[in-house]
Amino acid sequence: MEQSGTSTLLQGAVQDLASSVVSALRGGDHARAATPGVVDSDAGGIALAAVRVLGSDALLPSVLLGTPPDPDELAVFRKAVESFPPRADAAPAVLWSHWAMARTLRRLDPSSAAGEAEPGADWLDGASWQVLTHQLAVLAPLALPGEECAVTRAAGRRPVDVARGFVRAVRRRDWRQAAGAGRWLTLLDGVPTTLGLEAGLDFVELMGGQDPQVELQVRAARLLRAGAPV
Amino acid sequence: MPSNEKVIEELTGVPSVDIEAALDPAELDGVYRDSRECAALALSSGNTKLLLSPPTPRPKKG
Repeated sequence: MEQSGTSTLLQGAVQDLASSVVSALRGGDHARAATPGVVDSDAGGIALAAVRVLGSDALLPSVLLGTPPDPDELAVFRKAVESFPPRADAAPAVLWSHWAMARTLRRLDPSSAAGEAEPGADWLDGASWQVLTHQLAVLAPLALPGEECAVTRAAGRRPVDVARGFVRAVRRRDWRQAAGAGRWLTLLDGVPTTLGLEAGLDFVELMGGQDPQVELQVRAARLLRAGAPV
Repeated sequence: MPSNEKVIEELTGVPSVDIEAALDPAELDGVYRDSRECAALALSSGNTKLLLSPPTPRPKKG
């Protein structure tokens, strides 16, 4: 399917933002997601939409490494949460992504508005292992230790299915899905030891790591395996 | 168009349909890996076997 011009611009902005998050997770400098001064311009608007698309992972360095978020960065994140309320009939992944952002905002800025009710997760219980893995990979920003929700509980009930999905994603060369599933697997109990998750993540990084969104998930998985304080 | 979607598009210059598509992407079409690559990975990863398993059946077209 042909993509619109704005869709291409948005994808580029998401990639740029993911690169800056990866840099911060590596311990480098974290370029700001967007500065308040440009949020009202066209470029700033795209940057704001990119924050919404990357979701709560836009502030992952603060969550995983415990570094205080830059106030401007936090302001842009808040604006993204407030500017993109999901429609009531939005897809579960859209609802959960917004819920995760609101949760991250409350965590990093306790003065922010009260929390949203959790969306339902019934669609995951009835999903095939292939669909489960795809949806979990899309919702990889929810994969954080000690941050329980209905999606983490659904994933926790099906570690073998997620492991199968990880292998399938690797074999299909779907590196984003593999990286997201790998991040989930670092948190789940009951993952088959024969999976070789560590080597699998190395392979995903080798093959797909030039995509910042893949690299972000692999970095997150490694930090989680190393016991990042959350 | 609902007003909320219009506001989002005016704010960002990005149609809300593009944002929702990015938030809930369809699964990519698979490009299946060469079994030799799987074997090399499995051999290099020690006592793991899953990636050396037979290829996942390809979906039938039509």
